[in-house]
Amino acid sequence: MKKTLLAAGITMLLGTTAMAQNIGVTMAKFDDNFLTVLRNGIQAQADAAGLSVQIEDAGNDVAKQLDQINNFIASGVDAIIVNPVDTSATQAMTDAAAAAGVPLVFVNRQPINLDTLPDNQAFVASNEVDSGTLETIALCDNWAAEGKTEVNVYVLQGELSNQAAVQRTADIYDVIAAGKCAVKVNFIDQQTANWSRDEAQNLMTNGVSTGAAFDGVIANNDEMAIGAIQAMKAAGIDMATVQVGGVDATQDALVAMAAGDLDVTVFQNAAAQGSGSLDAAVALSKGEAVENAVWVPFELVTPANIADYTAKN
Amino acid sequence: MTQQSAQHGVGGLTYDARKRALPPELNVLFALIAITVVFELLNRWNGTSFLFNTRESLDTLFNEQRINIILLQVAITGIIAIGVTQVIILGGIDLSSGSIVGATAMITMSFGQTALVNGNPNPKAIFGDAWMDLPVIAPILVGLACGLFAGLVNGLLIAYTRIPPFIATLGMMVSARGVAKWWSNGNPISFPTESYASLSNGDMLGGMTFGLFSWSGQNPAVVFFLLAVLFHLIMSYTIYGTRSYAIGSNEAAARMSGININRHKVLVYAIAGLLAGVAAILLTSKTLTAQAGMGVMLELDAIAMAVIGGVSLSGGRGSIIGTILGALIFSVIISGFTSIRLDAYYQEMVKGAIIVGAVVLDTWRQQRRTK
Repeated sequence: MKKTLLAAGITMLLGTTAMAQNIGVTMAKFDDNFLTVLRNGIQAQADAAGLSVQIEDAGNDVAKQLDQINNFIASGVDAIIVNPVDTSATQAMTDAAAAAGVPLVFVNRQPINLDTLPDNQAFVASNEVDSGTLETIALCDNWAAEGKTEVNVYVLQGELSNQAAVQRTADIYDVIAAGKCAVKVNFIDQQTANWSRDEAQNLMTNGVSTGAAFDGVIANNDEMAIGAIQAMKAAGIDMATVQVGGVDATQDALVAMAAGDLDVTVFQNAAAQGSGSLDAAVALSKGEAVENAVWVPFELVTPANIADYTAKN
Repeated sequence: MTQQSAQHGVGGLTYDARKRALPPELNVLFALIAITVVFELLNRWNGTSFLFNTRESLDTLFNEQRINIILLQVAITGIIAIGVTQVIILGGIDLSSGSIVGATAMITMSFGQTALVNGNPNPKAIFGDAWMDLPVIAPILVGLACGLFAGLVNGLLIAYTRIPPFIATLGMMVSARGVAKWWSNGNPISFPTESYASLSNGDMLGGMTFGLFSWSGQNPAVVFFLLAVLFHLIMSYTIYGTRSYAIGSNEAAARMSGININRHKVLVYAIAGLLAGVAAILLTSKTLTAQAGMGVMLELDAIAMAVIGGVSLSGGRGSIIGTILGALIFSVIISGFTSIRLDAYYQEMVKGAIIVGAVVLDTWRQQRRTK
């Protein structure tokens, strides 16, 4: 019986009695910097509005996340916010919430069934078409400003199962195909480093060791850009001669930018996505209409405007 | 050696009424009831209820959604736990079941895909059109075969190379996860056929009982309980069960009694693999997708369920019923935490403490009984 007493004791200390509007939130994972900023954005907005949120950690497990949604439904929450573990598993989540008539808001990761979402479900995120586009155009402009007409680049992709990785990579090719790039771009290699600094470092070390001359790295996120930078610096490459672009504008990336290593990144407003998803969930729970997709704009970050972003992520 | 003496292998040679003990599963049942009552009280304190309906919009006595999710969220891990329990009773351990689920999920799902999604070609297609829209029996057979194969490899390694089960299944855990990632280069596999999706999301009992026990998405729970009853009977009343307990209690004695130990070990690990295959089929059908990361840590959850249910890690003691109760305790705790709105941070801390606490209690109980 001791275990039950233990559970009871701890819950007595922590159990809240707030019975205002209840919003259940399930995050893909807690141990992720960006998602933590987003999660704090939800919490801050809820505190400001006097709402009570229950935030669960899905531990990167699709099935666990689906179960958490059903647990929220059983607890009678007014709305559910889901940061999907995987975008291709969202149909089952939509079905579960729709069957119970509980409003559902997907945040940050675009559900695969976005086009067929029911009326009381919505998606809040930044439009990935913008992120890769902003990044690529800025890099192209930088190369043109250096007087180059033809450049050789590496592309570092995020997890292939992730819609953002696929889209940001597609953006690169779209920008070039649309003639928005001021220079001619040759792709030396395009590899996935799974969003990871470590894997990107290994890939880039291999790339550098081939001895092929290159002018820059286009990475799907900052972590991989930083990994590539570390590999290049280890190989003795002068960072002023290459352009490196990432996405996310993380604190680490801004430090790298201030040091002159990273040239371009794109700020994805995690906190605004968090507060936006809460607003959408509250609106839906009151029966108000919400756009199918609510876009929080991406913002380009370069050494020129870096000061505006140092305190944001 | 009968199953009774294996379970309570502490008495004298003659029957002694004073030493008769209540089945150890009873303690687990009491713990389950106690935990449920605690969550009910905590909920009442907050003005809600754990098991009963307090919403005016619904006209039911119980909170049916809660009971549904308590059964459902544990069903798939529970199916794995049924296999793991047999392995542990045999005196072994199986660390590979979560990874087998991952690999089997990926392979199975690629045989259960539909060719057209909302009129467009399936964007996640693995094979060509000829392999799409197969009858549902095809992915089922593939899934069972994958699980069985992995289990057989485990069993053969353990029985014939004599490496410890921990190492053999650790190897399988790593390799099977590799297979899961390699199969589609890490891409998720989605959009199953309607018949495949209905495997988990269907309403099995509804048809059989003419609507008496009808709710959609119940199938994993139903399969879990059918398998639990089946394997409880097998472990209690057949030579298969007797041999498992005998080998787990004392392998040398079992060998000298003429049991073909190697063959039996292969059989038990193969069955555990097969059950992991069943779990993979239900899991992919339930979530409508297969992911290379599916089933991570599931083996440890399954082992924890068995241990909470009184299955001894040193082998020879425990039962399927105990594991089922352990699984339900697991599930009640997960749902209970959400219902009392306990922070996610504390949930894992408390869960870990409960697992260790359960084993400590069980050990004390064992020591007291042997005195």
